[in-house]
Amino acid sequence: MFNRVHKQKTIILLTFMFILSTILLGCTNTSSNDVKSSENKENSNMLTFAWPRDVGEMNPHVYNPSQLFAQSMVYEPLVSYQEGGELKPHLAESWDISVDGKEYTFHLRENVKFSDGTVFNAEIVKRNFDTILNKIDMHGWLGFLSKVEKTEAVDEFTFKLTLTEPYYPTIQELAVVRPVRFLGETGFPEDGDTSKGVAKPVGTGPWILDEYKVDEYATFKRNENYWGELPEEESIKVKVIPDAETRVLAFEKGEIDLIYGEGTISLDAFKQLDSTGKYETSISEPVATRQLVINSKKKQLSDEKVRQALHYAFNKEALVEGVTSGYEEKADYILPTNLPYTKEIDASVVDYNVEKAKSLLDEAGWKLSDGQEVREKDGQLLEIELMYDSAEMIQKTMAEALQSEWAAIGVKLNIVGVELAEQVQRFKDNKFDINFFSNYGAPYDPHTFLNIVASEGFGFNEAISAYPNKADLLQQISMLTQTTDENERQKLYSSILTSIQDQGAIIPISYIKKIAIHQKEVTNFTFPANRDEHPFTGISIKE
Amino acid sequence: MGTFILKRILSIIPVFLLATLLTTGMIHLSPVDPAEAYLTAAHIQPTDEILAQKRQEFGLDQPFIIQYLNSIKKICQFDFGISYVSNKPVWDEVISRIPATIQLALGSLFIAVFVSIPLGFLAGVKKNTAIDHFSRVLAFLGASIPSFWLGYLLILFFSVKLDLFPVEGIGTWQHLVLPSVTLAFPLIAIYTRLLRASVLENLEEPYVLYARTRGINENSIMVKHVLRIAISPMITGLGMNLGKLLTGTIIVEAVFSWPGFGRYFIDAIFNRDIPVIQCYVLIGASLFIISNLLVDLIQMYIDPRISRKEGYKQ
Repeated sequence: MFNRVHKQKTIILLTFMFILSTILLGCTNTSSNDVKSSENKENSNMLTFAWPRDVGEMNPHVYNPSQLFAQSMVYEPLVSYQEGGELKPHLAESWDISVDGKEYTFHLRENVKFSDGTVFNAEIVKRNFDTILNKIDMHGWLGFLSKVEKTEAVDEFTFKLTLTEPYYPTIQELAVVRPVRFLGETGFPEDGDTSKGVAKPVGTGPWILDEYKVDEYATFKRNENYWGELPEEESIKVKVIPDAETRVLAFEKGEIDLIYGEGTISLDAFKQLDSTGKYETSISEPVATRQLVINSKKKQLSDEKVRQALHYAFNKEALVEGVTSGYEEKADYILPTNLPYTKEIDASVVDYNVEKAKSLLDEAGWKLSDGQEVREKDGQLLEIELMYDSAEMIQKTMAEALQSEWAAIGVKLNIVGVELAEQVQRFKDNKFDINFFSNYGAPYDPHTFLNIVASEGFGFNEAISAYPNKADLLQQISMLTQTTDENERQKLYSSILTSIQDQGAIIPISYIKKIAIHQKEVTNFTFPANRDEHPFTGISIKE
Repeated sequence: MGTFILKRILSIIPVFLLATLLTTGMIHLSPVDPAEAYLTAAHIQPTDEILAQKRQEFGLDQPFIIQYLNSIKKICQFDFGISYVSNKPVWDEVISRIPATIQLALGSLFIAVFVSIPLGFLAGVKKNTAIDHFSRVLAFLGASIPSFWLGYLLILFFSVKLDLFPVEGIGTWQHLVLPSVTLAFPLIAIYTRLLRASVLENLEEPYVLYARTRGINENSIMVKHVLRIAISPMITGLGMNLGKLLTGTIIVEAVFSWPGFGRYFIDAIFNRDIPVIQCYVLIGASLFIISNLLVDLIQMYIDPRISRKEGYKQ
């Protein structure tokens, strides 16, 4: 009896194990391809690129989680942003701006076709604009869109945009990756509302989405009917590798040809790969400035002398070199000087000078009593809080360095690491003493940066509260985008940026840069001037 | 036995209610407003008007108890809401990622069972021999090496240097090997020691002596009697770990770019995608309960004394 039951149980157990292993094998793809060879090089004319996130929906009119670089591969703008802020014709061959700065007439390129063969014309430009404007809630952040009064297809290849008021950055804002890029007619869903999804990713760009597996990879093939210069590579495979160390290992093994971006791999890993001499590495021009925003509304920070003292009291060059291993550059100005209108800023450059910092604090009335480590004024200690994003190593390390540097001049700095979402919220709610920030870069700045400085409820507006000329500054900023005269505009930018920087509520720390590392076979890699664009223009792999 | 299963299934209800309470309460504990988190994710500038409208849409303007009851009602219909980030139903997003995670969990369970049973058993039977020492070293390593580090080491050695397996990704059985081993390693450490201790304990039991006096073959005593009973604590451990395997593969999924449920959850945390986080917590809780139930059933099955006891109670 026992034996029979026992046998039965053994059979059931064995069956269970069999089913388990079958499920397991069933889940895997049992094709007998040699993984190694197929993984290493699937196609000699395919460039394999690693990216931390899934490319997302290929829809030109939506944001997160769609990835900017991928959207820019498929969809194109009317105007493209080039080196030094030069705005060049792209899908628009030329444009005229009316004297009052309200009417923009675009003469479209005539030989452009969408990847499905349909013609790119003024009608489809209008349809895209109208679709975007229907969701102005989503897109209002892009200044010119909320000022659009009328869109017109004047003739087949002429498109006219009428604004309610002059807004000079319109042309520059047309270079952004989303949402003002163009989806072909067949890409629109039945109800025409692209915010919920597109029917097909049909664009005019040099690449077409070929194969896509969520969270695994996306393959783009060359658009053989592309109107511009045809890419050298036949296809690009974007592998989704969320972990930075794994990206490095896959690159070392040769499964990846190119790693590119900001913070896509650790600076240590970049340095280590660079030192092997086996790969090509490059660092871009500055894309943004890492800044400290000092809240002058706080009592102890309301005196300009205190803010200046903080700036003088740390060795910026050593800090940036030490924390970023030299991959960021010491910043003298609050915006990188390769952006439009930022070259002629007269702000005084602050050099490391501890004695000067101490005397500034003395002048401001913050005295250090004998035997004390922290300065005092009217019984209050000079104690400040610096908030940083706890997930960002660079911010954290910089915060720690500042803590020790400022302790030397009698300032007690408390550093608080918070999650990004909370950091943004506290910045908005004005619940901070000092915060880290970095500007958006090309093609958004300088006007977007000044716009958020002036916007209420963003953090900056409050931060410059103690500036005696705050009202003037806000007034000047509001005039800025309406200027139609280039010289006047430059003058305004120079005066506003100089004044903001000189009064010390925004301290520039370093210029943030992008890095790229690729196998030696990859040639002609260049960084795009537009921070959000893909880097694949002209790239090729030697056989 | 039927009553026992029914009882266990009914016990899911209070745990489910508690988990829902926790996830609903979680929103109120976070310093970030869900309506604002939604708008940030959707790239809409939060004005007071839109915020108020979203709060009303999410039911955040209702009293807590109503919100709680509403979420229970929705969850019972498998409606976990819409992801703030992707704008798609959370349930669909989760379901599409679960097979990959199950595959990984089964793979590692498979390796863990097939390594730790023979190893633990032999280490117990042949106490203080080379195999016992080996199992001890393995256990120390397994207990102390963090899994992400082990993952990198395996990739570096077996993939980059020896070129035996791909670095990352999913698709073939080769892709499954390294992540499964990484996940299985700490389990092997625990189960080997657990089984060894249990075997040693059982060897002292009178039934072994009795079997020997009956003249039963030694191998037969070891496999059919000792192992069968000694394996019981290991199965309990496995069951407790099954839930953990299905929800706790986060790190390994990230290291090996495994497109599973854990990785999706990490993204949701960074994006403050609250409906996804809620769904994850609930699924996690349910998985723990279900896997524990499964363990009880398997144990009852292997050790008839348990079901007899249950029967006696009935």
